[in-house]
Amino acid sequence: MRPAASILLLTTLTGFAYGLLAWLGLDAAAGAAAAAPTLLLTGIGLVVVLATAGLAASALHLGRRERAWRAFSQWRSSWLSREGVAALLTYPVALAFAASAYHSPAAPLTRLLGAAAALAGLGTVYCTAMIYGSLKPIRQWHNPHTAPDYLVFALFSGGTLFVLLHTVVIGAGGWPAALAAAAAAAALLAKLAYWRHIDRQAPLATLASAIGMAHGTVVRPLDAPHFTENFVLREMGFQIARRHGMTLRRIALGLGFLLPLLLSLLGASGGAPLVSSALAVVCAALGLLTERWLFFAQATHVSALYYGRSI
Amino acid sequence: MTMLPERAPGARKMGLVIDLDTCVGCHACAVNCKEWNTGGEAGILPDYDKYGANPDGVWFNRIHSYETESPERSRTVNFPRSCLHCENPLCVTVCPTGASFKRAEDGIVLINTDICIGCKLCSWACPYGAREFDEDNGVMRKCTLCIDRIYNEALPEAEREPACVSTCPAKARHFGDLADPDSPVAKLVEERGGVDLLAELGYRPTNKYLPPRQAQLPTGPEESPARPSQGVGAALLRLLDKALSR
Repeated sequence: MRPAASILLLTTLTGFAYGLLAWLGLDAAAGAAAAAPTLLLTGIGLVVVLATAGLAASALHLGRRERAWRAFSQWRSSWLSREGVAALLTYPVALAFAASAYHSPAAPLTRLLGAAAALAGLGTVYCTAMIYGSLKPIRQWHNPHTAPDYLVFALFSGGTLFVLLHTVVIGAGGWPAALAAAAAAAALLAKLAYWRHIDRQAPLATLASAIGMAHGTVVRPLDAPHFTENFVLREMGFQIARRHGMTLRRIALGLGFLLPLLLSLLGASGGAPLVSSALAVVCAALGLLTERWLFFAQATHVSALYYGRSI
Repeated sequence: MTMLPERAPGARKMGLVIDLDTCVGCHACAVNCKEWNTGGEAGILPDYDKYGANPDGVWFNRIHSYETESPERSRTVNFPRSCLHCENPLCVTVCPTGASFKRAEDGIVLINTDICIGCKLCSWACPYGAREFDEDNGVMRKCTLCIDRIYNEALPEAEREPACVSTCPAKARHFGDLADPDSPVAKLVEERGGVDLLAELGYRPTNKYLPPRQAQLPTGPEESPARPSQGVGAALLRLLDKALSR
């Protein structure tokens, strides 16, 4: 599948935003808002900026941007529509959370709104994941790893941001960095498990069944419909730089997961908290963009079978 | 509305039956499809870099050719590929706007290009690669089963069939109601063992493909043993044969 920059930005930025919202919300739900309303307010501001940037990037993917509002209508069947609705609903919940944290940080309502904001943010991430998870022709997406992976990656990337904010606003504290390190470890294991899974999957179909021949018939492409590339091949038969896949996986793993994990551990043990937490955010962003590129570039689509591609 | 419609009892299932035994791979169906659909109500079916090195464009129908090899025999199979108007079309349910829809009355899957936002998700949801993006208008396009022909009362009745069907010189394409067990297309599917493409994915396509017949390979004409011929006429012919063979 072609990794469109707009979608890589959308999923990575909203992952950071809604992951951070989940941390802020859970932090407040646990009763920490009273001690640090400033952390919540700056955090929610950052969430709104990042989520809006991500959603704006996604609009660049559309052929007819002026009609984007129509995408909120089919939430009963479409995960893309549900993502739009969930993203839209998250704004008022996050803003109510911020207002409550500003006026009465110690109130039970703030705790409640914190939990609701965390739920709305993670719910949006789940909808995003299910856009991919629901697509049957793509085995690398339509599997039980996709949705949990997106949630874990959101909590991990949002966690690096939370630690940075916490360090800047309140000062170095051991527990957020320790939790962020745990999230990084979980994300790393999830990604390894995902790669192991897709590398062992059997193809969804054969060229013989794609053209209705009996099972066991050997089929070889003789002539393609046209001499040049077409939409199906460009969009669904993406092959550029696939041979660098293993190198890019190592980069994603090291930069995206392992370095943030080590930096978080360093921060948790009190070593250069500001530098380590800022570096962790940068590494996680670059690594997750690489990981997201691979998620697309290494996904194969059944329709490419017709052109003799292996899926 | 991208929820799939409740199929009314007795509703038709209009579709194509494509005979892979008789398809000669001439691309006439694809060309006539392009011709009809570029001039219809929906406007131009776009082409890019028309006279350049890499011409490209939107086609609703594309013709592949394959070599197949089974224990019985090997052969060339020409394979026209277009929308199958599935009964379980994921391309419809993933659509966020309601632009992609399946008609309750005849099962035809269409796109309302007036509200399509061009997110391309439907093309990802189709395992048959049947949907193509219109870069000029920013919307998705697909086979309409020539809905502007099959119900068009301005056309003579004999022409109320999809452009691809009407043009096929080998009569390899058939159009009709696959829900009616007595329709010619349904009988054809029954007799010839028509199959679903990629049945394992569960899209339940309406269009059916008739697999190539398992015909006996023709054996070469038998050589008749030369009869020894006699007489002056035969001698002259032998002489002529000798002279011409030089």
